[in-house]
Amino acid sequence: MGYELNDVSVKLNGVEILQSVSCTLQEGKWISVIGHTGAGKSTFAKVMKGLVPFYRGEYTHDRQPLPRDSKGNMKAVPQIGYVFQYPEQQLFATTVYRELAFALTVKGESPGKVEAAVKTVMEQLGLPADLLQEKPFQLSGGLKRLVAVASVLITEPELLILDEPTAGLDSVHRTALLKQLQVWQREKNRTVLLISHQLEEVADYSDEVMVFQKGHLLAHLEANELFLKCADLLEQAGLPLPEPVQLLRLIEGISGRTLTPASCREEDIMQLVRNVWQSRGLHHEG
Amino acid sequence: MLVFDQVDYYYRSRNPVLRQLSFEIRQGEFLSIIGGNGSGKSTLAKLMNGLLQPREGQVMLDHLNTRTPDDLGKIREQAGLVFQNPDNQFITTSVLDEVIFGLENLRVPRADMAGRANMALQAVHMEDYAEAMPHQLSGGQKQRVAVAAVVAMEPSIIIFDEATSMLDPQGRRDILELMNSLHRQGKTIIQITHHMDEILSSDRVLLLSRGEIAFDGSPSALFSSVSITEHQLSPPFAVRLHQALGLKAPLRADWKETVSALWATS
Repeated sequence: MGYELNDVSVKLNGVEILQSVSCTLQEGKWISVIGHTGAGKSTFAKVMKGLVPFYRGEYTHDRQPLPRDSKGNMKAVPQIGYVFQYPEQQLFATTVYRELAFALTVKGESPGKVEAAVKTVMEQLGLPADLLQEKPFQLSGGLKRLVAVASVLITEPELLILDEPTAGLDSVHRTALLKQLQVWQREKNRTVLLISHQLEEVADYSDEVMVFQKGHLLAHLEANELFLKCADLLEQAGLPLPEPVQLLRLIEGISGRTLTPASCREEDIMQLVRNVWQSRGLHHEG
Repeated sequence: MLVFDQVDYYYRSRNPVLRQLSFEIRQGEFLSIIGGNGSGKSTLAKLMNGLLQPREGQVMLDHLNTRTPDDLGKIREQAGLVFQNPDNQFITTSVLDEVIFGLENLRVPRADMAGRANMALQAVHMEDYAEAMPHQLSGGQKQRVAVAAVVAMEPSIIIFDEATSMLDPQGRRDILELMNSLHRQGKTIIQITHHMDEILSSDRVLLLSRGEIAFDGSPSALFSSVSITEHQLSPPFAVRLHQALGLKAPLRADWKETVSALWATS
């Protein structure tokens, strides 16, 4: 079950910018998409949302093909939430409340239900209630981002696509956003597709990772498998290892030991390295 | 020298964004400005090159005042600003034209324009995209073009307002190396960033909190004397590593050398 692409290719101005991509986005997974600038990450995400036509291949949802016209455009856009790279591209209302209420209001939800949903989503993302009457365009870049995410999250999409959602956020808002999204995704068994350049965040939050390179899907692996066992794939894609994994490799190199942390998350790697460090007699003095 | 003298700023809602801000930035400094969302960082950047004027107080660039309309043209020649979102500054249909546009406004001789523009594109590794349409580039590529457009104008101060926030790791490294290279050439570099690992190579850090300066000093002094988590920020990996292993060695951006050296001496 889930969303599936089979041998999908996309051309722009005669150039193939996505080539023979096949993948399954399984329900309830946090899947991150990484790759060099121009590798095809955003194009892939737009194909999933039905915003970019593909000239070859098939797109299915729960094994049912999604209908397309003769030019490859989706006849109906799938019920997928999409947060674009720049939040100001999707903000339009005169107040934050109206921005958040818009999607549910046009769906015909009652004012009471809309108000309750707005309150819930504000709390979910740690946004203060006094922001509701502010103009979205006058907010700082980081707050605009949170409002943009909230305006999509409020629709409770089955698949939520986020294109670099944490760029421009300070670490408190960044962590709050990712943690709240993780709680939402796990509680409701939703799928998150996260495009990110922040490999440390990808290692900390993802179940699976897709690596793109020059329009190809180079790998689609579990996060632990990719970061702890397949460093060569990252190198091939022109990406560095996350810093905690670099530390792990350094300690392995200088100690001559093979180290196996519980996961690729920084917390688990740091715990293992601390133990090795102390066993060497380099005790914690802090 | 860029001088802020008791600067207040507020938007229409009149909630103060910056309060009684006073500091100086010397020619050739590499300054990082950090702070949580809404702390006033981007407002500060716009005040620096006269895009905004102070409600109270003054912003002076040498003898030029951002509140004096006749000075604004010269101030913007001297202080180039690279925005968070490159889409906000694109107006032409090709990458090369985009870089040349600023030079036309500065009345650079036509014979020099293409050369300066191409050098700037080379500096950000975008020379192969000179004929491409800016709006068809990826986010990271657009940002590199935006940096090239400012670099081509050869300002003495370049303000990077979260210019690396949309770039991939290689793109970030490229822009950081570019900042360091421009700094070595004598430019004043001012970067606003949320990436704490990016501030380790700067000379000086200003921490903004609720429109006021909460810290002004070196990066190592910042991490040893201020709990930056109270300012919605988290320490970079090098600092987290120092804390996790209890390292007493001086803080360096290249933590690998520190770890290797300590291991070898144990």
